[in-house]
Amino acid sequence: MGSNMNDVKSLQETNLDEEGDQEFELEDVDDGDEEEEVEEYVTLGLVEKPKNPKFLLRHLFPSKAGGVPAWLDPVDLPQEKLRICGFCGEPLQFLLQIYAPISEESSTFHRILYVFMCPSMSCLLRDQHEQWKRREDNPCRSVKVFRCQLPRCNPFYSSEPPKRDGIDKPLTLGAALCSWCGTWKGEKVCSSCRRARYCSEKHQAMHWKSGHRNQCRQNVNYSETSSSSPDSSSNRLPAVGKVACSTLWPEYEIIIEDECAFDAEAFEDNNCATSLVPKNMKTDDSYQFMLDKFEADENKRTWASFQERIAKCPKQVLRYCRDPKAKPLWPLSIGCPSVANIPKCNYCNGPICYEFQIMPQLLYYFGVRNDPDSLDWGTIAVYTCSASCGSSISYKEEFAWVQLYPTAPMT
Amino acid sequence: MAERGGGDRGGFGRGFGRGFGRGRGRGDRGRGGRRGGGRRDEEEKWVPVTKLGRLVKEGKITSLEQIYLHSLPVKEHQIIDTLLGGRLKDEVMKIMPVQKQTRAGQRTRFKAFVVVGDTDGHVGLGVKCAKEVATAIRGAIILAKLSVIPVRRGYWGNKIGKPHTVPCKVTGKCGSVTVRMVPAPRGAGIVAARVPKKVLQFAGIEDVFTSSRGSTKTLGNFVKATFDCLMKSYGFLTPDFWMETRFTKSPFQEYTDLLAKPTKAILLENTEVVET
Repeated sequence: MGSNMNDVKSLQETNLDEEGDQEFELEDVDDGDEEEEVEEYVTLGLVEKPKNPKFLLRHLFPSKAGGVPAWLDPVDLPQEKLRICGFCGEPLQFLLQIYAPISEESSTFHRILYVFMCPSMSCLLRDQHEQWKRREDNPCRSVKVFRCQLPRCNPFYSSEPPKRDGIDKPLTLGAALCSWCGTWKGEKVCSSCRRARYCSEKHQAMHWKSGHRNQCRQNVNYSETSSSSPDSSSNRLPAVGKVACSTLWPEYEIIIEDECAFDAEAFEDNNCATSLVPKNMKTDDSYQFMLDKFEADENKRTWASFQERIAKCPKQVLRYCRDPKAKPLWPLSIGCPSVANIPKCNYCNGPICYEFQIMPQLLYYFGVRNDPDSLDWGTIAVYTCSASCGSSISYKEEFAWVQLYPTAPMT
Repeated sequence: MAERGGGDRGGFGRGFGRGFGRGRGRGDRGRGGRRGGGRRDEEEKWVPVTKLGRLVKEGKITSLEQIYLHSLPVKEHQIIDTLLGGRLKDEVMKIMPVQKQTRAGQRTRFKAFVVVGDTDGHVGLGVKCAKEVATAIRGAIILAKLSVIPVRRGYWGNKIGKPHTVPCKVTGKCGSVTVRMVPAPRGAGIVAARVPKKVLQFAGIEDVFTSSRGSTKTLGNFVKATFDCLMKSYGFLTPDFWMETRFTKSPFQEYTDLLAKPTKAILLENTEVVET
């Protein structure tokens, strides 16, 4: 080994004489992409238009994005304070849900994670500061994640798997949902017709303005003539597509694929390419100048590896990996949480770990407008309780970390 | 749908239907049902990740100049592809093997220098190091596309016809190499060494006199010095820029009171209003 080191030193000296004896130059600088990262087993989520919207109802345990949520526990929905954005007070809008059971425990036979978000970008910008706050300071967020789990035997669904033949039904009727957003529980009733239900005053006002004003009177007349009340006459199947709000995000089904299925095929033959290497290469003693804006700074390097990783499957909108060693794929190096920023579980005080992340391609599929004030994010990483604890509350709040792109510099 | 064990027909202990998080199953490698034909499609179709990408894909931004005007960072090379399209040509200037000493011998990687350009005022330079030559070249092309800059051309004397040379004497420096470009009359051609000549051809400069100093053997620095020189062509304040600039709204900037004078109709927000 010692003689090798001497050889190295002598090589370096003759470099300066710039004589073409050796063909290679020595590289002291360590590039970032040296280490072979252990590829974790990542599952990707892709969106697709559903073949039949009926397949996205709650008794079929779907994974979907946009539209209305398919509540797993249809009765004990999140309460008033959890439904609204911490900044503007508007009820949150449904972003996506994924069906992520944990096979080791029986209490998590069914397990769905729901993500809700305020569609306003200004709230998201303020949320950025909130997520850094410690839990004791009671941060108010505009991105909320809920987890709901059920054992196999439960009062809501049959213990047998659904046959997906169009006649599956849940065992019980769910709670009535808001007529405007179809997302949250409709606790308040329209005072005149007593048929339309709302989750909040804001939605009642919106629905009134956009057509309920006319419909209301007709509803009153109708209920006087027909004797049966509307709730019992409807069958147990939840209604499909009967939401008054038009600004909900378009509904998609999330298809699950493994990332390794997209691994690139072998590169083209190296034979033709290596002939580009000329026979006698002169030494280059200024390699240290290579490290500047053409190569990388930390942010660019992170972005480059991010791009490379998603290039395997450009249509992905979700990356899932519940491995304890898993780390999310950050597009930027700034704004990443450290271990101290991740709080403990709200309910069992145990550690929480990364589970999945939402990618910005989803904005493209949702057709979000590209105005200065429209929604945009780098990635949203969701951290959940490692033990997936149970408690008396059906929908437990989990932690979301949003990484935004830095705003463009002003000219 | 040949799913392993669980799935539609009632998987014990793993929920119903297809869910995320199927444990440590690494045995699914073989499932390549979506490969082949389907995969080609996915490769070509670009799903933008940034807001600028979405704007370009929609077609709201039609030229690179709109991006330059507001100094927006371009993070996806497909943006340049969409805007400059087929006019962009690329060339590998050099592949250089670099080595690192490890306990088990030397580890060789290849460094690729690639220049892209559309011979009409846009050039880009990319450098990438990778274990295989093809990867390095591919990566360098992407980086080159991300670094495309506009090149200002002007006249030597009479302002007849199209601009053909640099507008003024400019100089660029990188390491010890300095490259100086001097306007030349028509027909002079590019008077430069082999390496910067290539870059200048890609930029679309037809006539120029150059002068270089320093260790021009180091190709990396030489190419970067020329590139730096070209970047400065738009940075030089000439009398035609003396007129006061009227600022327009950037596609990302919230409207503030400072930008009080909306002018020409390249405002993207304005066109949107007109359409709806």
